Amino acid sequence: MRRRLTSIALLAATLALTAPAVAQVRAPDGAPNPTASSVNEEMLFKQDPKIHGRISIPNATAANLIQPQGREWREFREAWLPWIGGLVVLGMLAALGLFYFTRGRIRLEHSEESGRKILRFNSFERFSHWMTATCFIVLSLSGLNYIFGKRLLMPLIGPEAFATLAQYGKYAHIYLAWPFMLGVLFMLVLWIKDNIPGKIDWIWLKQGGGLLGDAHPSAGRFNAGQKMVFWMVVGFGLAMGATGIMMIFPFAVTDINGMQIMQVIHSLIGVVFIAGILAHIYIGSLGMEGAYDAMGSGEVDLAWAKVHHDLWVKEQQAKTASGPQLGRGQVPAE
Amino acid sequence: MKAFLVAVAAALVLATAASFLLGENQRFAYQAFATSGARVSDPGTNLVGPRWTGDIKEPGKAGHHKAEAGS
Repeated sequence: MRRRLTSIALLAATLALTAPAVAQVRAPDGAPNPTASSVNEEMLFKQDPKIHGRISIPNATAANLIQPQGREWREFREAWLPWIGGLVVLGMLAALGLFYFTRGRIRLEHSEESGRKILRFNSFERFSHWMTATCFIVLSLSGLNYIFGKRLLMPLIGPEAFATLAQYGKYAHIYLAWPFMLGVLFMLVLWIKDNIPGKIDWIWLKQGGGLLGDAHPSAGRFNAGQKMVFWMVVGFGLAMGATGIMMIFPFAVTDINGMQIMQVIHSLIGVVFIAGILAHIYIGSLGMEGAYDAMGSGEVDLAWAKVHHDLWVKEQQAKTASGPQLGRGQVPAE
Repeated sequence: MKAFLVAVAAALVLATAASFLLGENQRFAYQAFATSGARVSDPGTNLVGPRWTGDIKEPGKAGHHKAEAGS
């Protein structure tokens, strides 16, 4: 009897201890749930930000099963980026259009020096500029195709033509990136000495670069606006190159998370870069009479140079005696 | 204009050189992402095989795909 009472007490104690465990393996509706206490996604993510499997094929990255950051990146790539890119690029085009129709083209001011030329950019400077510029245009268009192509172009030309175009656009983007990066390095070396910011740039900016009134603030070889373009091209160019190389060579430097971050940086800088260069193209061509000649023939009208880069002209006049700035068909800048 | 044309030519030459240099480091997907045990044969330039035409008939019109795999 005593032994039987002891057995019953032990059974009751066992049931009391196991009852919570039994409750845990039931689903909210009371139905048995044998996998409720098994390893789940949430538990795995507490140990590591990604869930890996084990594979035997050479592609080790295929072992990555779930990476939640990829969903955030896809949300950025598919939902946010087209809007950001569209607003930045179209916003700049609208601003330039508004500026053109309100301020108009900045005309060349004629004086007794009109018609006389001064060398502004030598052949190698123009070569570096145009190599970078032509690559940039193709890189921009093929880059925008990554964002907008399937949304805007594919409905117009059809999936087959778009696939071919996108494939060649991708080749152009990957291969022309190299002469572009080389051009940026050339320009950095060529023009850094003339683009160091100084007090004169602050005065130029305070006067709105001559765009807001009739007065033309003094400037050296490059004014504050041109210096901003220079540093934008160098800074953004190098950043685009670095982030682009990390994507051209996947997994060489960083993992999938890192490459997604690189793509975000690359695309955001890219659209701002395009907007900035649109402003540069505008002011260097349509926006200002006489400005294109600097990169076209390399020679500018002396009257234009004296108005927009008076300090630089004085500097060149000081050098004129030894004649280093004189090229074919030029006259001394004095 | 001369500087511009030389710049465009130089960009094309450098891009072509880059394409060859980068191509040296490229392998076909079936070489990079599968072991010899998983390769049924040399499938050509992609995993669907060299005789792939890409012409897939709709299921309602034809019972089988026109395109054939490499092996």
